[in-house]
Amino acid sequence: MPLISIFYLILVLVYLAIGAAIIFHMLYYRINRKVATVMFFIYSTGGIILLTSNFFLFRIVNWYNIFSDSGF
Amino acid sequence: MFEEINFPGQHEQEKIILFLRRHWFIFLMRIILILISIIALVMIYFFFSTDDPNLKESTYYNLLLFGESLATLFIWNFFFIMWLDFYLDAWIVTDERIINIEQRGFFTRKISELKLTKIQDATLLNYGNIHVQTAGEKEHFVFIQIPDPNYVKSVIVELQEKERVSEEKELGKIIRGGK
Repeated sequence: MPLISIFYLILVLVYLAIGAAIIFHMLYYRINRKVATVMFFIYSTGGIILLTSNFFLFRIVNWYNIFSDSGF
Repeated sequence: MFEEINFPGQHEQEKIILFLRRHWFIFLMRIILILISIIALVMIYFFFSTDDPNLKESTYYNLLLFGESLATLFIWNFFFIMWLDFYLDAWIVTDERIINIEQRGFFTRKISELKLTKIQDATLLNYGNIHVQTAGEKEHFVFIQIPDPNYVKSVIVELQEKERVSEEKELGKIIRGGK
């Protein structure tokens, strides 16, 4: 596995860990069920869209060229 | 009015009189940070686009988009962390007690309560802050940056007075031998 992929995987895992903590607080400590449900759907839908698009962008970046250009 | 609201340890017949959070303006001030970050991302994009007109054809264009997308991901999380901090911090005034729910980050959550009968005084500190003091004890509550503090203070004082009168009536009944 290339180093950049490992680095990206760590970033995604950090993002997912924060996301899991947000969802836990949103649903477990909810004060208003309706608000918590709506916010959960907004958060998870937005999060999935952003993460998917970010993954596709990661795939289309030509990492080999970038690193060889910069002298790595 | 507050049917949708429920909190841990709520009694069956307990009626919520007031449900308070910090003023929305406080949340708006935090949102400005998010807006600044978004503006910065847009500016970075335009800076690189104008700096190099052929950027779209270069290999760095996708890298720029990837970086911006990654930053957006974390800004998205940051917004919801700020919203949770605002949303989960609350004060609930019921016909029996005052409940203070304090959320600090992800790991500190403190719930404390104060019986209305124990309240000695409610004073308005600065704009938007109310200090609720109990009799004889060191315990106190501070409602921070709440909207309409004058109204909240008058409601607390009124409820406390009502509770005091009903407690005196109960005590009188006991003294008279339950008559």
